[in-house]
Amino acid sequence: MTTPKSVPNDSLPGPLEGLRVLEIGNLGEVAGKLLADAGADVIRVEPPGGGRSRHVGPFVDDDPGQPSLLHASRNTSKRAVTLDVTQAEGLEIWKRLVGLVDVVIDATTPTFLDDLGAGWQWAESQPDLDACVWCSITPFGRTGPRRDWAANDLVQLALGGPMMSNGYDDHSLPPIRPEGEHSIAVSNEYAVSGILAALWMRNAGHPSQLVDVSIHEAVSATTEGAFPNWEYFGRLVQRQTGRHAAPDPTAAWQFLAADGQYVCLINGGLPRGNSAWDGLLDWMDEHDAAGDLRDEQYQELLFSDPRANPEGRRHVADTIGQFVQSRPAEEVYRRSQSLHFAWGIVRRPEENLDDPHWADRGFFWEGEVPGVDGTVRYPGAPYRFTRSPVRLRRRPPLVGEHNHEVYVGELGMTSEELRRLLESGTI
Amino acid sequence: MDELPLPLDGVRVTDFSWIVAGPQATRILADLGADVVKVENESYIDSMRLGMRQDPKNPSLNRSGFHSNLSRNKRSITANLFHPKGREAVERLLAESDVVIENFSAGAFGRMGFSWERLQEINPSLIYVSVSGFGHVGRDASYTTWGPSAQAISGATAMSGLPDQPPAGWGFSYLDHSAGYYAAIGALMALHHRARTGEAQHVDMSQIECGMVVSAVPMLDYHVNGRSYERVGNRSRYPATAPHNTYQCAGEDRWIAIAVDDEAQWASLCEVLGLDELLEDSRFADMASRKTSEDALDALIRGATCEREPFDLMLELQARGVPAGVCQRTDDKQERDPQLAERGFYPTAPHEELGEHRYEGVPMQFSKARWRMDRGAPLLGEHNHAVLTELLGYSDEEFASMLAELAI
Repeated sequence: MTTPKSVPNDSLPGPLEGLRVLEIGNLGEVAGKLLADAGADVIRVEPPGGGRSRHVGPFVDDDPGQPSLLHASRNTSKRAVTLDVTQAEGLEIWKRLVGLVDVVIDATTPTFLDDLGAGWQWAESQPDLDACVWCSITPFGRTGPRRDWAANDLVQLALGGPMMSNGYDDHSLPPIRPEGEHSIAVSNEYAVSGILAALWMRNAGHPSQLVDVSIHEAVSATTEGAFPNWEYFGRLVQRQTGRHAAPDPTAAWQFLAADGQYVCLINGGLPRGNSAWDGLLDWMDEHDAAGDLRDEQYQELLFSDPRANPEGRRHVADTIGQFVQSRPAEEVYRRSQSLHFAWGIVRRPEENLDDPHWADRGFFWEGEVPGVDGTVRYPGAPYRFTRSPVRLRRRPPLVGEHNHEVYVGELGMTSEELRRLLESGTI
Repeated sequence: MDELPLPLDGVRVTDFSWIVAGPQATRILADLGADVVKVENESYIDSMRLGMRQDPKNPSLNRSGFHSNLSRNKRSITANLFHPKGREAVERLLAESDVVIENFSAGAFGRMGFSWERLQEINPSLIYVSVSGFGHVGRDASYTTWGPSAQAISGATAMSGLPDQPPAGWGFSYLDHSAGYYAAIGALMALHHRARTGEAQHVDMSQIECGMVVSAVPMLDYHVNGRSYERVGNRSRYPATAPHNTYQCAGEDRWIAIAVDDEAQWASLCEVLGLDELLEDSRFADMASRKTSEDALDALIRGATCEREPFDLMLELQARGVPAGVCQRTDDKQERDPQLAERGFYPTAPHEELGEHRYEGVPMQFSKARWRMDRGAPLLGEHNHAVLTELLGYSDEEFASMLAELAI
């Protein structure tokens, strides 16, 4: 390996140290989290009762009065203030907050803040905000005939195309939306690239600007082979169980192992090289399962012309499929990987928590969840920076936890003013 | 639009990536203006060049639309790493680059002679982004993945499908896309860190971790509440809303997604579907009771949608503010989605062998910058002369002799 196996020092600054970000609305929490875990100071602005994710389960102890785990998953490392921007005084405070930051993540609606006179149109006209990157994240973008359409994750994954590639061989069963709010994930991932690119320009002397991210477009860009199949061949891909959608049916990749857990055999289990093939046959022989596969015709058909003899290839795949169904899933996974097959085991999410490989990488972050004694393991970041660690910087904030710190400490209000704003429901 | 600047103008990327995950990352950087130079060799090409070729009998390596969509706006050189002059040319390119990206199996790039230590010797300010299944660190780092096996291991496959059916998984390599999205973020974060501190670093990406970060809620739920993950199909467990599902419509394999979030939307849905009697039905009186009676509710809605034309129904529901969307096929998106059309999401660009074709756009618009869709993927080695002579300072004579010696 090319990298020392030590976990980077937690005292080191993150790659975005010094960056200041304001985040408002319900569709940009993941973008804010990615920046915050990387060291940016991200202040999430919520209405006085807290933003939407705080009111969506699962909740600690399944008690809706307790903190939300959805909120916890998306708001690590941030600070949080409350503010009712629909009140005149709240709006003035919002404008002052914008003056503190490099980036605004505006995930409200295409017009909400502009209609109040404190959105991008206002910011663009303020000479002292000429270094501000304003990232709008909305379901369809800020322009176009459908910009005000109603959507949620299910509707976005339907309209954007992934669902028609996901599902079952049996098309009386519906197209499937994978759980996890992937429309938020992919759009927010693109938004972070857009923000960092716009900041790169700003640092090269260009002025502030709007980055208008469309969730519909981010989802639409995330369908792999469906696009070229149509654009170049006029073919539509058809969904299949546990494997790639394709214009014509392909052999199964997903099998139920002997212990009731599924495994995923890339390419239907067919090997890509001679040494893997020999290793697989040895493994099958240990269980008298290789059948006639040692016959040289199969070696020939596997490694000469992949298009020749589809029946023969199907027989090889079927024999391998039969074999893996007779073995426990963990054995199929580990043994195949040791033979350089890129096969996988179908794990439930929580089954990764105790896989020591992720501990070796420091992937899980020990941290608090409000309302829970002790610490839990948060899934961390999918990148490991060797010099500027991306990590859990703070536990998810309580509603309005940083009101005093931000409004008094940074905007210079008095404690009396803060109390009055609290009483008037402005914060 | 041409007068607007490209955000990453001036950033240079040496691109050793192949298949989908790495090229997806460098596609974003190239679209945003970085000079991305793909390094291949005739004996070691980006195998996407062989994927979905327009005419499989034509031996050209420049006829894959799949590859063109992933590697548009990039440049291509062929360099023979087994020839000292070919290797020297790559090292000179690395010396002129800000970032190098590869997505080989962990350790392979080091075995090719480009360990992190060696990269630092060649160019101390070079950022190294590696994308692999399990990352370069950890006891299983030698294991490998493709999108579907990474999805399986990460939990993303188990989270897709009906409760009484096997996992449906993903019908494409979702984690190739998202590993690419995260790798682009990793490269940009590392560039910002370098701009502030002068330090370059290795960013070690794991494709499986890209799947685990979207499985965060079930993991926390397991930790805190002891609950094992169970599939819910297209229904909504959190928040507990109903109706929230896909419903079959008229036509072959046509489906509409409907997600009701409040009482006004519920009333509108019943009116549009001609199901006004449900508004008086105590089983569906409020969100909680609709959730309890969801099987009966879904059956009634399916009965009302199955004869409806899906796009007309979507328009009617959206006109009433009900979140609804047809499960669109690619032809729907490319030929009849007025939103994607108006926003210019499928721009056209030329390619010497493929001709004019549409490409997927970048899902954002900048007010004072642009992204580009200037040209399809480079022909293999198309930029050998330009890169070696203009960028790396080789003379025409040196270039000719390198060609003759098969160094490039």
